[in-house]
Amino acid sequence: MSKVIRSVKNVTKGYSSVQVKVREATSNDPWGPTGTQMSEIAQLTYNSSTEFYEIMDMLDKRLNDKGKNWRHVLKALKVMDYCLHEGSELVVTWAKQNIFIIKTLREFIYIDEEGKDVGANVRIAAKELSALIADEERLRAERADRRIWKSRVNGLEE
Amino acid sequence: TIRSLDHTKSEAELAINIKKATSPDETAPKRKHVRSCIVYTWDHKSSQSFWAGLKVQPILADEVQTFKALITVHKVLQEGHPSTLREALNNRSWIDSLNRGMSGEGMRGYGPLIKEYVYYLLAKLSFHQQHPEFNGTFEYEEYISLKAINDPNEGYETITDLMMLQDKIDQFQKLIFSHFRTTGQNECRISALVPLVTESYGIYKFITSMLRAMHSATGDNDALEPLRERYNAQHYRLVKYYYECSNIRYLTSLITIPKLPQDPPNLLAEDESAPAL
Repeated sequence: MSKVIRSVKNVTKGYSSVQVKVREATSNDPWGPTGTQMSEIAQLTYNSSTEFYEIMDMLDKRLNDKGKNWRHVLKALKVMDYCLHEGSELVVTWAKQNIFIIKTLREFIYIDEEGKDVGANVRIAAKELSALIADEERLRAERADRRIWKSRVNGLEE
Repeated sequence: TIRSLDHTKSEAELAINIKKATSPDETAPKRKHVRSCIVYTWDHKSSQSFWAGLKVQPILADEVQTFKALITVHKVLQEGHPSTLREALNNRSWIDSLNRGMSGEGMRGYGPLIKEYVYYLLAKLSFHQQHPEFNGTFEYEEYISLKAINDPNEGYETITDLMMLQDKIDQFQKLIFSHFRTTGQNECRISALVPLVTESYGIYKFITSMLRAMHSATGDNDALEPLRERYNAQHYRLVKYYYECSNIRYLTSLITIPKLPQDPPNLLAEDESAPAL
């Protein structure tokens, strides 16, 4: 059902094909983002600057989503992590300039309907990602050698 | 920035976020609203609207609202755009005025906590005014410890000022613990401990690395003896403080409480052999 609504929204809101890809990868579905989705998005960051900003704008929206949509936030962090490794250099610049968006997620709170602290996933991911962005040397090393990080940022379920 | 900024719309949203963060409910200021205030200062590279928005809220009428406003201010000072610290200096008398809404304990016992929080925030702002090279959470930056080596006198003074602030945090956290009530969750009081843990640890790391740098640069262990003594005393107090925090589940689920060694690290050791923080 949510999939149907999402595709209706994609049409009514006039999202581009790039934005639709990011929305699919960072949806509320309990699975994903898959490795394929993330690697496609990372490749797209090398295209025109319009497409680059479309991706970043959409990730930015997802990162600032409300608690109920904690999966949007968590998945956007995953996609961001992936793009920082495999995407264009512009992603690194963007992340450094906007690190406060990710840093402020380190205290993200959301308790779901069953009383489960699902916000913890976001807090951990945000902590790891902001540490990486702040550590220039480590980021350079991980961008140069994919084996170091590959196990960490694999797709959740492929 | 690429974030689409509709000025009127974001001002209106900021007002709502401030209102909700400082609501009369006796809970922690909601993180999502506090976060929105913080993100606002980065998006606009200014905190002017944040202060203006706070001032129109009727927070003085209610002790819980006043206390939540102080927590919100503290968080925005810590995590907001650097301009926030500078702009806060013009709002000192407003912060001070938050004291005056209260007389005595208050219905729910927030009176002394508000008083102490105002006192602490004003001390923090004075520190930042004198040492503008520090950010809101005292995050470790290599260049500041280097600066201390170049000018040992200034370094000595900076460390003394940092230690004064650390003592004030200690005084404030003890007051918060002593004001826990046996009924209820104490969530609102506990949430004030969050920025204090962050800040005390930032200060601790700074002092440690600055003192080490000063020892190896000056080689004058005798002159630095008073600082070492005070450092050790503060270390033991922090160990105790973090231990007490680690027993509060609400706190440990939200932030990582730093783990310090039982005994203070050796400040005279060479950098390579010095224990990592």
